[in-house]
Amino acid sequence: MIRFILFFLVCNFVFSQSYYVYVASESDDTVSLLKFQNNEINELERITVGTYPTEIEGPHGITVDPSGKFWYLSLAHGNPFGKLVKYSTESNEVVDETTLGLFPASMQVSTTTGFLYCVNFNLHGSMKPSTVSVVDPVTMTEITTITTGSMPHGSRISSDGLYQYSVAMMSGELFEVDALGLEVSRTLDLESKKMKMDGMKSMDGMKHSVVKPTWVIPHPKKNLAYVAGNGSDEVIEVDLDAWEISDRFKTGKGPYNLEISPDGKLLIGTIKSEGKTAIWNLEDKKLVGEVKNTTSVSHGIAISSDSKYAFISVEGIGGEPGIVDVISLENYKLISSVEVGKQAGGIAFWKQDNL
Amino acid sequence: MKNNILLLIFISFSTLLFSQEKSVISDLDELKLDIGQIYKPTTFSVDNQGKKYDCERVYYYYKKGAFSMTGKVMEFNRSKGTIKAVEPGYHEVVAICYGSGKSIRRTFNVTINYPKVKSIDIITGNESIYTDTYIPISYKITDQMDVVRDIDYWKSDNAERYFSNLEFSISSSNDKLNIDDSNNVLALKSGSATINVVFDGIKSSKTINIKKNPVANINLNLKKPEKVRTGDVINLNADAYDKRGNLISDVKLKYSFTGKSFDKSNSASGLILQDGRFVGDVPGKYILTASFGNTSKSKIVNVFQRKVQREVKKIGAGSVNDKHTSDFWVFEGVDKRDYAVTGTWGADGTAYFWDVTNPSDIKKIDSVQVDARTVNDVKVSPDGKIAIISREGASNRKNGIIIIDVTNPYDVNIIKEYTKNLTGGVHNLFIDEKHVYALSAGQKYYILNIEDPTNPVEVGMFELGKEGQAIHDVWVEDGIAYSSNWRDGVYLVDVGNGIAGGTPSNPVAFGNYTYDSGANHATFPFKSKSTGKFYAVMGDEIFPNGVNPNGTNETAGFLHFVDFSDVKNPVEIARYELPGHGSHNYWIDNDILYVGMYTGGVRIVDISGDLLGDLYKQGREIGYILTGTADGYIPNDTMVWGAQLYKGHVFYSDFNTGIGVAKVSELKPNNSMTNQYVD
Repeated sequence: MIRFILFFLVCNFVFSQSYYVYVASESDDTVSLLKFQNNEINELERITVGTYPTEIEGPHGITVDPSGKFWYLSLAHGNPFGKLVKYSTESNEVVDETTLGLFPASMQVSTTTGFLYCVNFNLHGSMKPSTVSVVDPVTMTEITTITTGSMPHGSRISSDGLYQYSVAMMSGELFEVDALGLEVSRTLDLESKKMKMDGMKSMDGMKHSVVKPTWVIPHPKKNLAYVAGNGSDEVIEVDLDAWEISDRFKTGKGPYNLEISPDGKLLIGTIKSEGKTAIWNLEDKKLVGEVKNTTSVSHGIAISSDSKYAFISVEGIGGEPGIVDVISLENYKLISSVEVGKQAGGIAFWKQDNL
Repeated sequence: MKNNILLLIFISFSTLLFSQEKSVISDLDELKLDIGQIYKPTTFSVDNQGKKYDCERVYYYYKKGAFSMTGKVMEFNRSKGTIKAVEPGYHEVVAICYGSGKSIRRTFNVTINYPKVKSIDIITGNESIYTDTYIPISYKITDQMDVVRDIDYWKSDNAERYFSNLEFSISSSNDKLNIDDSNNVLALKSGSATINVVFDGIKSSKTINIKKNPVANINLNLKKPEKVRTGDVINLNADAYDKRGNLISDVKLKYSFTGKSFDKSNSASGLILQDGRFVGDVPGKYILTASFGNTSKSKIVNVFQRKVQREVKKIGAGSVNDKHTSDFWVFEGVDKRDYAVTGTWGADGTAYFWDVTNPSDIKKIDSVQVDARTVNDVKVSPDGKIAIISREGASNRKNGIIIIDVTNPYDVNIIKEYTKNLTGGVHNLFIDEKHVYALSAGQKYYILNIEDPTNPVEVGMFELGKEGQAIHDVWVEDGIAYSSNWRDGVYLVDVGNGIAGGTPSNPVAFGNYTYDSGANHATFPFKSKSTGKFYAVMGDEIFPNGVNPNGTNETAGFLHFVDFSDVKNPVEIARYELPGHGSHNYWIDNDILYVGMYTGGVRIVDISGDLLGDLYKQGREIGYILTGTADGYIPNDTMVWGAQLYKGHVFYSDFNTGIGVAKVSELKPNNSMTNQYVD
């Protein structure tokens, strides 16, 4: 009897967990706050963002600060510079904002420095080096910009908060920024020798990457990082100690975002061109799951802090709504989906509650 | 157990003791630096017991940010921990003290000293100085870094900026001058006097010769219509004479006015310029004066109501209420019937085609859907054969434009998707003859030859070529492209007119005008039929309170009438500002303005004659309609996107309702329903 009661209590605890996620919809100028509970995800609130009701400002990147008190949103389009806007998670109201560079995109706050590092993607600009903006989120001041490569994307911070990683999509490089020193500490060319021999194209003297890296995620427990080769349809493993490529493994067409479960066991990737989400076991780098997303153009990934669920944003096409799919990281199945604004992209896990 | 409790209390007390709040201390506080000076601040933290802690790292930054429109104020060398003073002024610097994985910060006030003044030139102009007149003084101040600043009475912001921080005094060598509390200098007596100025410890003097005011009489003539209406510009022409009746040519007469409204609940209002132009905004009696010293001459003018109001009636509409509508274009088809195309915003990439031959029976006749969320702009070639629509929000992020064969508007066909250099999104575009002008990512525009619409060829590009260049719209007329570049204002670019030797493949900028709000969103060229003057009418787009997703959005901004008759010296001369509502897109035909004022509806404004001052206040508005409908995408929410006069009908698109048509009647407004009092 006691065992039954204990089992019931454990089950009740497990199934009463609530997970909260923010997702940005780039073509609707909205952010949705979502709640996943009892195997069902729902939209709690849709927050309109931006300043111009008749201009698309393009919310692209989103992140929640380590305290969970604020979320930050990058607006890609301005006149012409984009913005970083700080919101309260308590009220979902704007707290402050600052101007960044051209097409500010993905970002993260370092638990160590407290600074926010946001890449200025400059997606449609000329093939020239862009920057990482370093912002003090307390005063919402861009305190410096660090020049990296052409079309930088995928800003992620090492678990110790000391390094920021991003990849340059056009120049095919991985950049490591010293989060304390606020300067590039190392650069790694992600092209293979073969690519350099016969794949690399040159136009106006600029490098056009074959790999077209779009994301990098450092491992939470090991000195490894994983890069999405959007153009070469592969994941590239980088040994951060040796600062060299330690492995490459093939994916479906167009891997875009990558995240690693907080327990360090699984690598999750969106396969953008196929509208799928792939899951690899990082012990042997074998594909353990592949889930067809609800619509096309799979984009971002957020993983619950207990490593049980992946929340995938799916853009859709034209007038289709954006979608957030919830995938179980225990059985690699699609559990639930919810419609959000058009072109769902940036997604961030906020918190996990016990009811 | 007791021991455990004691231990717990001890731990709690210790934690409290060692987790005290710390503060940042730095010798940055009230620091004063000279330009070019490099300084290494000393910064540390203290707890509330006064115990000092070294910072593992210290970060300094300018509080307005690395991205500052004012330019680089300070340079920070983070490896050396130094600050270099660049721009003089009063600045805020944040110091972050980082240690043990935590950071604390404090803002400090740092002054970068203005360079010492090296020399001062007192400037009094070239005109003779006469008794009983104020002397127009300005100062040219050169500092020790050879930076020259001009400060005059009207640039009070500059004057305050420099004078408030530094000692300034002005005095006269004798009683021939009177200097008041505001440092205005009045010439009292003829003879010689010296103006002495001390600025930042540097002295400067200028001796002036004051002549006895010879003006004994002023002859004032008015060039005006027989009956002056509000908004009519009167030209004052005055000459000064001495007591012998000789003309005095070297005096600059002052023009001023007073007035009284005919309506006791209103106030007289108008504008007079020192070149003698006057306009009355409000019906009333105005006294116009030309003066010099204590001599003046006045004339009285009665200004009557303009009375241009006409009845404006909605006569037809084509409803789009399941999504937002954006821009539109009305055109004559190859079959000589009349058609329109409308875009959609934040939706599914649809553009609709309409038969508007009978404006009271607008029919939706076809549509195209492209991979986009917003089709912001639509245009049709003058021959009615080709439509071009812009794309934003394409799923593959390759936006560009779509070229459509509209030879048969009942069965339109996409003939080309063109994305080269336009992937970042095309917000606005224009067709002029055989060329398309398409904005690229809000930064520049490309010029495409579409003689073969199935194979557009990029032939040119125009950009400002500066960091942060931005563009919102481009309009082409008579071989001149007018681009609206937000804070960089309008650029007039020769793309075939010949005025500057430009062509579509070699666009040449030859004119520019900016204004302070930096909100230049659209520009329409306007050659006044009644005066021959040439204006660039520059419109703002401002949402002062951002987005209201649940209802009416507050809008602001107005149309700036900039006289470009002399392209090298454009002069902003008039405005159309509708209180409480902001401007968007507009059209001008036959000296009448048709403007979409967003929440203020479609406004039709008489802009005939010379233009000066506040056109709305002058009663130049002919009429208006509000376009919100109960079944609109947002019900009852007027949000007019733009207007176009076509074959005598006023077409418009509304963000929430689709396309509509109105007609300006010859009849005066029917006021039978308005409140009247019986006298």
